[in-house]
Amino acid sequence: MRKTLAICSLAIAAAIAAAPAEAVDKTTLRFFTIFDAPAMESWQPVIDAFKAANPDIDVKVETVAGSGAAVYPDVLRTSMASGDPADLFFMWGGEIAGPFIRAGQVRPVDDYYGRYKWKDRFASWIVARLQKDGKAYGVPYHARGMAFWYRKDIFDKYGLSDPKSYADLEAICTKLKGANIYCATFGGKFGWHPMRLLDYFFETKCGPEVHDKIFSLTASFDQQCVVDAYALLKKWVDEKWLVPDFLNVSPDDSRMPMYQGNAAMIIEGGWMEDVLKANDQDLKLYDFFLPPTDHQPQRYPAFPEQWMITAASKHPDQAAKFIDFITAKDTQVKYPAAFSGTATADVKPDCATSPHDCKWAEILSSDRQTYGLSDQAYTKELADIFFEIQDGVIAGKYAPADAAKTMQAKAEAWKAANPR
Amino acid sequence: MARGLVTEAELPAVRAKTSRWQHGWFVPYLFLAPALFFYVGFLVYPMLSSLWISFFDWDGLSPTKTFVGLDNYLKLFFNDEVARRALWNNVLWTIASLIVPTGLGLSFALALNRNVPGTTAFRAVFYSPAVLPLVAVGLIWSWMYNPQFGAVNVFLKEIGLGAIARGWLSDFNTALPAAFLTSVWANAGLPMVLYLAGLQSINREFYDAAKIDGAGPLQAFRHITLPGLSETHVIVLSLAVIQAFKVFDLIYVMTYGGPGQSTQVLGTWMYFQSFQYYHAGYGAAIAWVIAAIVLVIAVPYIRRMSRS
Repeated sequence: MRKTLAICSLAIAAAIAAAPAEAVDKTTLRFFTIFDAPAMESWQPVIDAFKAANPDIDVKVETVAGSGAAVYPDVLRTSMASGDPADLFFMWGGEIAGPFIRAGQVRPVDDYYGRYKWKDRFASWIVARLQKDGKAYGVPYHARGMAFWYRKDIFDKYGLSDPKSYADLEAICTKLKGANIYCATFGGKFGWHPMRLLDYFFETKCGPEVHDKIFSLTASFDQQCVVDAYALLKKWVDEKWLVPDFLNVSPDDSRMPMYQGNAAMIIEGGWMEDVLKANDQDLKLYDFFLPPTDHQPQRYPAFPEQWMITAASKHPDQAAKFIDFITAKDTQVKYPAAFSGTATADVKPDCATSPHDCKWAEILSSDRQTYGLSDQAYTKELADIFFEIQDGVIAGKYAPADAAKTMQAKAEAWKAANPR
Repeated sequence: MARGLVTEAELPAVRAKTSRWQHGWFVPYLFLAPALFFYVGFLVYPMLSSLWISFFDWDGLSPTKTFVGLDNYLKLFFNDEVARRALWNNVLWTIASLIVPTGLGLSFALALNRNVPGTTAFRAVFYSPAVLPLVAVGLIWSWMYNPQFGAVNVFLKEIGLGAIARGWLSDFNTALPAAFLTSVWANAGLPMVLYLAGLQSINREFYDAAKIDGAGPLQAFRHITLPGLSETHVIVLSLAVIQAFKVFDLIYVMTYGGPGQSTQVLGTWMYFQSFQYYHAGYGAAIAWVIAAIVLVIAVPYIRRMSRS
């Protein structure tokens, strides 16, 4: 009996001695994103490199792939409400992040900006866009611009060139209609795709200053420039410049007419190059131009995407260290597949394989001014009200003047019910 | 007999009582306990918790809530235009569900309640949509309804009805009926199966007697089949109403509540309020209104089933 006890004690002591010291000290960082399988493939080397450089930190990726802003925030919200969120997470800019910040679920990162000198790493408009109430809550990941992407072969066939004014754009649409080609295609199922066209009309008719005030709800929707913007939307529908019956088509499916050569243009962002590659489209057939707004400065729509650290995270320092690694120029140059559309300055994509990305990188790092998008300026609830009116104009249920009045009335009711 | 002492006559009763205690009167409850634990933990507690939340203004994230009493319920019925539209859409969906898929199910059951070659195959064909997940059904039919390349419009154009081809899910007037048609396709199979079972229980002698008395097929249907299916009607119609008020998947996947919030139903509006608009209290109130309506139908149904 004593012999057995002695052997057992020795065995236990040996097991404890053999246990690796790191197993006790290793921090697990939970990293929540929207990566799909191809994105995970390109990100795995980045994560492995970080782990190799930081053997005391393990990174565990959790994803809600393919859902976009429709489902991912719901999953994030549930994890936060349960008290067990990830340490850091991906988020779009603007009001999509607003509810999480207002609920105190996101850690301000001004101290890390100072420690890692992140302000020097990104264009100033990107950092400014991620501020809320004077505090920084996110670190830039992507800088996304949007433009009219078009079929070069269709433009060449009909002798068309990049429009320099809104009138030029209408002339393009008129000519294409005569050739039985739709000027543009949109998928209205979630509202935000045709919203890009309406936002462009707001910028064109209202100008930068009023447009920004409308975004911040400090100017009324019930004014002539808004009526004119809704009237333009109705015109594009009535003139059959848009592929018809699109209100319930998903944005992904709306690209089909363009691939088939039945539509010439679509408003998409820098990600469109990856989409074209994934859909086996010939990149040489596609190009883009910034929307001509007839105003100076001529702004284009753009928004950042960001990394945020949860307030409940027990490892904010490690999370910040990881963010510093993945936003560093050296990392992004070494692993370009994971960082197309990056917000980090001076990271040039390979122009031979990603010519459009190259063009975007120049535009986004320039001092051209940008305007945000309605679905990021407003909370989801107000954005859906905006889409309801937008759909009504498209379907002919609202005349433009009524749409402007109704939108203002609903915005006021929303503000009264949601005091800030 | 002295107090505390037991007579011989009382012994069997005392032994029986002791036996019960020894073998454990509590044993059945021990068997029930695990299921009860999950039932209380994952159903009853969340239900009561959501009822509590429905009396608060809460975003579902912040640590604090503001008590608002019945404001959320009053808002649903009096101050929220979309909620009223959603309720009306549920009412329309319910009325249509009581007529179309149940009527079709009964027709299929009557047609297939005979021993001829192919009946089994047809029963399988008509029932098979019911086993598909509704999300998959919604996605498939969304593609079929695509205005440019969907099967519905392509078929209509092929048979010379191109004039009525349209964006079925994009049109304010046709979006809800189009989504409902998908529901009919997915849900006619279950009533068929239930009615088939009900038809089996009707005594054949009634039909023979009716034939002898000179009754025609319609008279036999009216005076024998329909009354003979009365219990089945209760089950089918109760389930139809419960399903109709619970509808969520098809609307969410096919229309996302659009165009212009025109196809919202209480289930999707509850989801939008709770998970997308951060009005967890109001969303909980909508959920309880759905539950109350469903309970009004479900309780008599369950009572009737228990009596049977």
